[in-house]
Amino acid sequence: MAGEGALLLAAGFVLLLLAGAPLAVVLGATGAFVILVERLGIMSVPTNVYGGIAKYPLLALPVFILAGMVFERSGVALRIVRFMSALVGSRRGAQGVVAILVCMLLGGISGSGPADAAAVAMVMIPGMAKQGYPREFSASLIAAAGSTAILIPPSIAFIVYSVLLPQASVPALFAGGIIPGMLAGLSLVLPVLYFSLKHGWGAAEAGERIGVWASFRDAIWGLAAPVIILGGLRTGFFTPTEAAVVAAIYGFFVGIVIYRSLDLRTIYRVLVESAEISAIVMIIIALAAVFAHAGNTVGAFDAFAQGLLGVTGNEAMMLILVMLMILIAGMFLDGVSIFLVFLPILVPIMNQFRWDPVWFGILLTMNIAIGQFTPPLAVNLMVTSKIAGVSMESTVRWVVWMVLAMLGALALVALFPQLALWLPGMMGF
Amino acid sequence: MEPTGSGGGPASRPDGRARVPVAIEEAIAAAAMAAIVLITFANVVVRYFTDESFAFTEEFSVFLMVVLAFAGASAAFVKNSHIRVSFFVEKLAPRRALAVELAVMAIAIALFLVIGGFGVVLALDDVRFETTSPGIGVPQWLYSIWLPVLSAAIVMRLAGRIVRLVRGRA
Repeated sequence: MAGEGALLLAAGFVLLLLAGAPLAVVLGATGAFVILVERLGIMSVPTNVYGGIAKYPLLALPVFILAGMVFERSGVALRIVRFMSALVGSRRGAQGVVAILVCMLLGGISGSGPADAAAVAMVMIPGMAKQGYPREFSASLIAAAGSTAILIPPSIAFIVYSVLLPQASVPALFAGGIIPGMLAGLSLVLPVLYFSLKHGWGAAEAGERIGVWASFRDAIWGLAAPVIILGGLRTGFFTPTEAAVVAAIYGFFVGIVIYRSLDLRTIYRVLVESAEISAIVMIIIALAAVFAHAGNTVGAFDAFAQGLLGVTGNEAMMLILVMLMILIAGMFLDGVSIFLVFLPILVPIMNQFRWDPVWFGILLTMNIAIGQFTPPLAVNLMVTSKIAGVSMESTVRWVVWMVLAMLGALALVALFPQLALWLPGMMGF
Repeated sequence: MEPTGSGGGPASRPDGRARVPVAIEEAIAAAAMAAIVLITFANVVVRYFTDESFAFTEEFSVFLMVVLAFAGASAAFVKNSHIRVSFFVEKLAPRRALAVELAVMAIAIALFLVIGGFGVVLALDDVRFETTSPGIGVPQWLYSIWLPVLSAAIVMRLAGRIVRLVRGRA
């Protein structure tokens, strides 16, 4: 049975979370309170805060966030959109497919869904509207496609998962996320083509035509970035942190020397903003360490895991239960936060059924991705609706189909673990 | 305050009317980020050309990450850009919502007072036992002292936010 400490921890967490406290404060205050009341040694609070962040593998996180922002600000995103448009041409549904491909490619550079969705929505929604796509549809589509960023490497969520669960290495997770991420993105092609053909979207002429070759030459610098990141990791020459640094330096080089789009002032702002976004994530990680220390010491996580295991002993039922829980959490929170809150409870369950940690991490991340564009609390959809100038309610009739399509991709990976595990296995991670 | 650049990311919702410019924390966080990138890149380059590594600098990079996290978090408290679930509070009447927010800020202050206060004890222990860092071998308190210093900065930012919340109500 769960003891007093465990109940305090759960009650404090829920209360503060619902009260709208910053998640970092929710975790830190609840954890510190339980440590005080249960006399677990108050010195563990500052020790865990410092130790929670001061980990070498975590260095990859701020640097990948920086790299993603450098590529966005240097105009790489815009050039990739142009290239993809030229490549796909103007047919029915073409722009919709372009939006998906661009989101996936950008996901291969940055690691965060909402940032990708925002960049693509700003560039693409006006053009798509001219070709007849309703703004509500475009907002839904880009929110859904942007959510694949946390599956397609480099992924911030995978880095944090690996820090929490070191037996799943970052290169293995990165490689493992490629096929499920592509499946998730491509599953969206079905609703795009169905609705475009039915309603005749994209048949209208698309203004100026850009040559495929010219736009390719323009975009090649951006297209090469995922190759550098994954190639460096693949050969084992770089640690994930070093790959991130090389990607950031490369991005600065392209922005300063090739595109000449980054001046000193912009560079400074990029440093400030990426540092702030990283800090918002890392302060949660630091204070989650306090929460985790309290929870582990009073046995709260084991108690909750046992409680869940008491609900059903059936492996498939349990997997569905876990995924449903994470999908709902994904509607409220971002991937990193979800891992920090839920992994301590889920790991005992994972061990009980001997699930592969890489496969399990990828499944959880797919659920988080779906949660990020499932109304009414979808982070990504909130961003794209705002940019499209439509209400989130009005997107529901479209976004339902995107959710169903991506659930299909999720079911495939759940049923056939090799979709996630074949690539890392073949690459020897 | 100057605007936080053009769009992008959850960090750009400035309500930074703080009297002490938030540019201070911004500069510290940006400098930490730049230093992390430069140190790690130098490490890659040196290893490529000489087969030697100065991996012991990891300790310093990791410390810079703690500085980055706290300085950035402090700025984010000013701009109110921390990740939170605001869905339920937004359903409350404005006066209730304000009361809840003030309570939340008070709890946050208590938390960072605990971190900072016992962080001082931690740093003093490092001084007393003359702990040296495992990588570079400098006195450990040179690192650990920054936890209470940066926590104190966050406490002051939170207090400033409470003052602005109360005044904004009038």
